[in-house]
Amino acid sequence: MPVTLATDTVKITRERKFGYVVPALLLIVFFFIVPVTMLLLRSVLEPVPGMQNYAALLGSTTYLRVFLNTFLVAGVVTIVSIFVGYPVAWLLAIMPEKWSRIVLAIIILSMWTNLLARTYAWMVLLQRTGVINKTLMALGLIDKPLALVNNLVGVTIGMTYIMLPFVILPLMGVIRSIDPAILRAAALCGAGKLQCFLRVLLPLSLPGIVAGALMVFVMSLGYFVTPALLGGTSNMMLAELVAQFVQSLVNWGMGGAAALVLLVVTLTLYAIQLRYFNPARGK
Amino acid sequence: MKYKITLLLLSVSLGASNSAAAQDMVFTSWGGTTQDAQKTYWADAFTGETKIAVTQDGPTDYGKIKAMVEAGNVTWDVVDVEGDYAVQAGNAGLLEKLDFSVIDKSKLDPRFVTDYSVGSFYYSFLIGCNKDAVEACPKTWGDLFDTQKFPGKRAFYKWSAPGVVEAALLADGVPADKLYPLDLDRAFKKLDTIKADIVWWDSGAQSQQLLASAEAPFGSFWNGRLTALEETGVSVETSWTNNITAADSLVVPKGSKNKEAAMKFIAAATSGSAQAQFATATGYAPINLDANSLMEPDLRNTLPDMQADTQVNADMNYWAAHRDEIGTRWYAWQAK
Repeated sequence: MPVTLATDTVKITRERKFGYVVPALLLIVFFFIVPVTMLLLRSVLEPVPGMQNYAALLGSTTYLRVFLNTFLVAGVVTIVSIFVGYPVAWLLAIMPEKWSRIVLAIIILSMWTNLLARTYAWMVLLQRTGVINKTLMALGLIDKPLALVNNLVGVTIGMTYIMLPFVILPLMGVIRSIDPAILRAAALCGAGKLQCFLRVLLPLSLPGIVAGALMVFVMSLGYFVTPALLGGTSNMMLAELVAQFVQSLVNWGMGGAAALVLLVVTLTLYAIQLRYFNPARGK
Repeated sequence: MKYKITLLLLSVSLGASNSAAAQDMVFTSWGGTTQDAQKTYWADAFTGETKIAVTQDGPTDYGKIKAMVEAGNVTWDVVDVEGDYAVQAGNAGLLEKLDFSVIDKSKLDPRFVTDYSVGSFYYSFLIGCNKDAVEACPKTWGDLFDTQKFPGKRAFYKWSAPGVVEAALLADGVPADKLYPLDLDRAFKKLDTIKADIVWWDSGAQSQQLLASAEAPFGSFWNGRLTALEETGVSVETSWTNNITAADSLVVPKGSKNKEAAMKFIAAATSGSAQAQFATATGYAPINLDANSLMEPDLRNTLPDMQADTQVNADMNYWAAHRDEIGTRWYAWQAK
């Protein structure tokens, strides 16, 4: 008898626990899954049922250029973020905790600042008559303003700045978990500083690099505000194309098709991340 | 107990939203100095007279209008839209027919009146230039497309709409009366020649920022935004040569829950006095013919419709019929 009682209690607790997630699940189903599915369905139903939207999207050099540009921007932002973020993560990992807390707070604080405000701030800094160009010209370093905005340079700067925390945080965790004794051992065995880094620290922190890189790449693929404001029209990314179809051209079939392509690419990359680079499994 | 309180709160909030829906209506426009003036001279005056509260919303979004109408949940009652969109959306069944027993159309500029829309205000794309930033200002569309004579960035309106295509054709030597049907091949070829020097503005506020900071020292602008910028102390030179006119329209999305209030609002907003006050404040031209006599003659003479001798009227019906085709091509060209 007591045994049955125990199983019953377990069962009840489980059901109760499941009950607590129902509101969140319902919210996601009704306000995310259902509307997104409806928009995606339009891509095969409008203006007439069929695959014509996908044919138009994938058969046009213009739209293919938008796809390529999306990958280019996401790729460049990922690489720059890793190069800039790695030293910061390293520093944070080896700093005394008192200091690393302050630096971390600054990084996280920037994430809490409004995205539009941050992007507009970059516009003011980067434009031809902006602070950076004016300073460089006053110093006599350049004669003509550099084109820092409305192009790939502007998008890369603006987005790298936003993505940095997503590289720094996972990397810091991974580097912290590396036993400093391993590096000491390498040094004792005669490895120079560069060798220590390239052959010991870098390979050991690779899971962090890959996790950060995939996260930044996937987030960058669907980014809208920053490329729209800091990029030129020839640097258009997929999310902007979707917005254009939905808002300006009011062509929801094409908008849905472009959104589905973006979703499929993103989910594929996410699946790769889960399959091969899951930090929980790596441990 | 808890449940009771929740229910009570729920019924209170539902009741509140119901009673609000019965009295309020929502007016949606493009934001910035233009919507500020629409609020002051149209909405606030209207509320004062009728006690119907008008909530401001924005910016206008054609995707949202379509979504609201299709979902049968229209929360915008009167929307300020571009003239060519008004014609197209009316034909596509997205708009309510206007009630001309409430709105007196006899006084309205007939160019902007359809079954589904009346003019909101009337504006010109013209050449604006920041005098302090350059040695010489471009005077014609030809000048603005001449990067040899006028080196530097030039600002143009980003979205597919009447204005830039016409400017390109005029710059290329097409006579103003031979613009339509638009020769898109020729226009895009001309636009190709200055593409690297174009900075696009996607809102009126941004256009003012570009010109004031001399990020783009000249370009094609809405006349009202230049007037407003000049008042802030920026030395703006304007050229009205071949200014290209277009109008915004007021429409009621199909299924508006406050149709009656919406018709009354449009009647009030297009009245002679409301139009005259709005025009005085913004520098855009009134679409009510009575407004002329209600305005200061000096100011009246600076408005777009007084530049008729050198004016080019964008053909709204042509644009409405070809809006999708031109738009698709326009954005594809921009992305190249």
